[in-house]
Amino acid sequence: MRFFTSRLSAPFVLLLPAFLIIAAVILIPLIFSLYTSFTAYRLVQPASLWQWVGLRNYIRIFSDVDFWWAFGRTLVFLTVALNLELVLGLCIALLIDKITTGQRVIRTIMMFPMMFSPILVGFQFKYIFNDNVGLINNAIQSLGWTDVTIPWLVNAWTANLAILVAEVWMSTPVFAILLLAGLMAMPRDPVEAAKVDGCNPWQVFRHITLPFLMPFVYIAMAIRSLDVARAYDMVKIMTNGGPAGRTELLWTLIARVGYQDARMGVANAMSYASILLSIYFTYYFFRKLASARASLGSMA
Amino acid sequence: MTVFRGLKAVLFSCAALGALAMPAHAEDTQYDWGKFPGYTLKVKLIGGTQYEKLYTRIAEWEKATGAKVEIVSSKNHFELDREIKQDIASGSITWCVGSNHTSFAPQYGDLYIDLKEVIPETTLAEFVPGTLASSMVDGRLVQLPRVTDVSNLYYQKELYENADNKAKYKAKFGTDLAPPKTFDEFKQQIIFFANPPNLYGTAFAGKDEGMTGRFMEIVRANGGDMFDANWNPTFNSQAGLDALQWFIDIYNAKAVPAGTVNYTWDDIGQAMAAGTLAVDLDWPGWAAFFNDPKSSKIAGKIGLAVAPVGTAGKRGGWSGSHSFSVTKDCDNKPAAVSFVTFLTDYQSEMMEARAGNLPTRTKAFADVVDEFKKDNNTYMADMFATWEQSLADARTPPLVPQWIEVSNVIWPELQAAIVGQKTPKDALDTAAEKAKQIMEDAGVLK
Repeated sequence: MRFFTSRLSAPFVLLLPAFLIIAAVILIPLIFSLYTSFTAYRLVQPASLWQWVGLRNYIRIFSDVDFWWAFGRTLVFLTVALNLELVLGLCIALLIDKITTGQRVIRTIMMFPMMFSPILVGFQFKYIFNDNVGLINNAIQSLGWTDVTIPWLVNAWTANLAILVAEVWMSTPVFAILLLAGLMAMPRDPVEAAKVDGCNPWQVFRHITLPFLMPFVYIAMAIRSLDVARAYDMVKIMTNGGPAGRTELLWTLIARVGYQDARMGVANAMSYASILLSIYFTYYFFRKLASARASLGSMA
Repeated sequence: MTVFRGLKAVLFSCAALGALAMPAHAEDTQYDWGKFPGYTLKVKLIGGTQYEKLYTRIAEWEKATGAKVEIVSSKNHFELDREIKQDIASGSITWCVGSNHTSFAPQYGDLYIDLKEVIPETTLAEFVPGTLASSMVDGRLVQLPRVTDVSNLYYQKELYENADNKAKYKAKFGTDLAPPKTFDEFKQQIIFFANPPNLYGTAFAGKDEGMTGRFMEIVRANGGDMFDANWNPTFNSQAGLDALQWFIDIYNAKAVPAGTVNYTWDDIGQAMAAGTLAVDLDWPGWAAFFNDPKSSKIAGKIGLAVAPVGTAGKRGGWSGSHSFSVTKDCDNKPAAVSFVTFLTDYQSEMMEARAGNLPTRTKAFADVVDEFKKDNNTYMADMFATWEQSLADARTPPLVPQWIEVSNVIWPELQAAIVGQKTPKDALDTAAEKAKQIMEDAGVLK
C-alpha cells in the first residue's frame, strides 16, 4: 500500500493501462502460442491443446529437411529482395528528388504498387509469367525471339526469380518513399560546401548523401525484413511453394501445416523458428541504425 | 438411456420436420418449410459465381418461413475450411449451416449433426443413393449433397474430324482416331495432337488436392488404391508407379504446358476455353462455360466422352459432392434443417442442373435432360447422359480426417517426379513414408 501512496507510484499507475493492453494483445497470445508449440494441438481437436509433447515438435521440424530448405530459401529471398529493393528504391528516390515539376504526381504514381493487395499482385504476376497464356512468353514469341515456351514458374531459378520480381515490384516504393523523405529532409549546406570544395557528384553522394540516408535505409530495412520474412500471399497464389517445394518459403509451409493440415502445434514451433529469424534481422538493423546515427553525430 | 435418446430423436424429428415429411417434389411449390418468424439463421456458405446463383432462392425460404438468413461468411472452399477449423479451435460455433464437401467433411469431427435423424427417409430416398452414401462419415449423414462432381473428357471435335489428323493417326498407330477409351490411348493422342506453344494435348491440375486426386483416380483405374484395409499407404505400388509414369511421360513429351505443375482448375479451364488444349479431363461445371461463345473460343465445337479406363480396365471415378451441413451447436436446428433441405430440394437441384452442374436428386437428372432436349440443346443433354454414365463408377477420396494432410505430402512428391527431380519410386516411397507417419500419429493405422 505504501508504494501506491509514494511519489514513485504515479508513472507506474499511469503506464498500467498500456502494460495491460500490451499484455492482453501481445504477451498473452505469444506465451500461449509458445505453449502450443509444445503440445500436439490440432485445430479440429480442441482437447489436443492439453496434450503436452515436450520438444517433440521442435525435434521433428529441426530434423525435417523440407523445413530447413524453406528456412534457407526464406533467408536468401529476404537478403536478395531487401538489397534489390534498396538499390532500386534509392535510384528512384534520387531521380525523383531531382525533378522540379510534377514531383507530387510522380510520387503518387510511384506508390501505386504498394496499394495493391499481395493476392492481386500474385495473380497479376502468375498470369504474366504463365507459360501458356502469359504475357512474357507471348511477347517474346510474337517478337520472334524464340518459339520455345519458357516455363517461368516451374524451373527452380526462374520460379524464384518470378516471385522476387513480383515482390520487388510491389515493395520497392516503400524504400523509395522513405529514402525520398530522407533526401528531402537533408540539409543542403554540406552538399553545397562539398561542391565548392571541388567534390564530384559521386563523392558528394558517397560521403555526404549516403551517410545521411543510412538511418532511413536501416529503418526501411527493419520494416521490410519483417514483411518479407512473412511473405505468403503472393507465393501462395503464384506457385503455392511448388513445384516440388522449389519456391517453398517458411510461411507457405507454416500455413499449410497449420491451417490445411490443422497441425497447429507443429506450425507454431515453425513460427517460433521464423520469429527468431525476424528478431535477428530487426536486432541487426537496429544496431546498424544506432551506429549510423552515432556516425552522423560524430560528423556533426 | 438408449431408449430416452431414441425417443428424444423421434420427438425432435417430429417437431422439427413434421412439415418436411411431405414429399419434397419440387413441382409442389406449396411445400411447407415450417414457420420461424423473427428468427435469424446464421450461415457460412461457399462463395463464387457458380455457387451463388442458388442463393437467389433464399428470399423464397425467408418468405415461406418468416425467418431471415444472415450469410456471415462467403468464401472459396479452402478459405472457408480454414475459417471453420478456427471456429472449432476457438469453440465459437455461433452459426447454424455451413457449406461442406465430401473431401472436407471427415475432418470436422462431431461439428455437424446426423441428418439421418432429422430428415425423413422419404426425402432422403429422392437423392441419388451413391451420392448420399458418400455424404456419410462413420455412418452419420453429416451433409446433404448439393451438386456432384465427376470428370469426363471434353475434346475439340475439329481435331478428331480433321481428315489429315485421321490419316496420320491411322498410319502411325494403325487404329482410327476416336476419343480415347483407355489412359494409354489418352496419352498416345495428347502426344499426337501436341504442337506447342499453340496447341497442347491436355493439362492437369499439378498442385494441391487436384494433383493428388487425379493421381488417385489413375491409381484406382490401374487396379490399385491409396490405402489398404488397415490404412497402410499402398499408392507406391506398381499401379501407383504406372500412374505417376503416365504424368511423367506426357510432361516429358511436352504434350502438356510445362507450367501445368502449377495449374489448378481455373488455369486448365481457361486454357481449354482459349482453344490451346486438345482434350481436357474435367468437371461438369465447365460444360456451359466451354460452350458459351462469350467465354470460349471452342463454343459449338466440343465433343464429350466418358473418362478413360486404366490398365485394370476400370474407371477411377474420382468424385465428391458439394453439400450443406447443420451444426450441433445451432440454436434452432429445425430452421437449419429446413433451410438445407430447401437448398437441395427439387427446384434448387433443377436450378443447379440448368447451369450444368450434376444434381443430387434422381428425378432432376431425368427432368433436366428432357428440358434440354425440348430446347434442342443437345450438347447439354449429351453432357448429362455422359456424366451420368461416369457416376456409376464414382468413388470419393478416402473418407478419413487425415485425407487432406496425406494429400499435402503426396502432391509435392508427385511434382518432384514429374519435373525430374526424383525417380518415381523415390517420390512415391517418400510420400508413402510420410503418409504412414500421419496415419500412425492419428492412431488410425491398424
